[in-house]
Amino acid sequence: MDQIYKIADTLIRISPINPKIVTICKEYCVVSTHYAFEIKTSPSDIAFERCKSAREDEAEGHPVRQFSDAYLETLAVYRKIAEKMPEYDTVLFHGSCVAVDGVGYLFTAKSGTGKSTHTRLWRQLLGERAVMVNDDKPLIRMTDGGAIIYGTPWDGKHHLSANIAVPLKVVCILTRANENTIRPLTVSEAYPMLLQQVYRPMDPAAMAKTLSLVDRLAASVRLWKLGCNMEIEAAQVAYEAMKGSL
Amino acid sequence: MKLNKDFILHVSGGEAVLVPTGNAKFSGIVRGNKTLGAVLELLKEETTEEQIVTAMKTRFDAPEEIIARDVKKALDGLRKIGAVDE
Repeated sequence: MDQIYKIADTLIRISPINPKIVTICKEYCVVSTHYAFEIKTSPSDIAFERCKSAREDEAEGHPVRQFSDAYLETLAVYRKIAEKMPEYDTVLFHGSCVAVDGVGYLFTAKSGTGKSTHTRLWRQLLGERAVMVNDDKPLIRMTDGGAIIYGTPWDGKHHLSANIAVPLKVVCILTRANENTIRPLTVSEAYPMLLQQVYRPMDPAAMAKTLSLVDRLAASVRLWKLGCNMEIEAAQVAYEAMKGSL
Repeated sequence: MKLNKDFILHVSGGEAVLVPTGNAKFSGIVRGNKTLGAVLELLKEETTEEQIVTAMKTRFDAPEEIIARDVKKALDGLRKIGAVDE
């Protein structure tokens, strides 16, 4: 089952236990004789994910959900990838990213706020001009020319993503509200949320690199805060304000 | 005492923030005032509460008891989140 995949322009060899990884990553599979790094999983990695998931459920007061080894292995593989990616100037970011006319707009918020709902409204509003890059966990690479956001196989419960890369120009923090309002944020205002939503590596050196990458990200995109409801007007208000600022 | 290795002190836009790695039990972000920033900077190397107070006296123009009180408050907060190894 060992295969090489090109994820965020990085060649990664993955040697999984379960075939589910091969299935979810198939669009990213490439033929290559070399690779940047290798990911191997073991039963202890799967046990770690099961334990972590149970702890998070307990912390939030939810019943502990049961997951298959195959699903938990997909989490373990992505965690290992996210731990390595800062070496390649790349971070995993929790958010829903839609590209319009080839420009990436990333919406971030805590789980359950309505990121996916909002980007669905963008697709309703803009039709084929709006393409989902990734609905849940895109990768962002910092380059001298700015931020590039990539689709990945880890794309949320609705499996919305494409194996594409677009320049990321906007990061928007989303909150629920009765009325639709939008305003620009300073880096200082947005910074705590950016740090909450980026993957935090366990390795201190990778964490320090992640912080410098978040600084570069914050300096290279427009930052917004959107208070929104679930009407199509929310997408209109957001798109018009953001597009006008680019 | 010293800053725990699972907490990274980072300065962004002139402001000190303390961010835990994925290994730390604490998952928030600490943004503090100048006192906290200075205490965190000193905690990068092995030190004591007395040494921190002495170092702070040279930086801040305030009575020693005020500095000692602020340092204790900062350290207590850091201990609560597991950011200090004694």
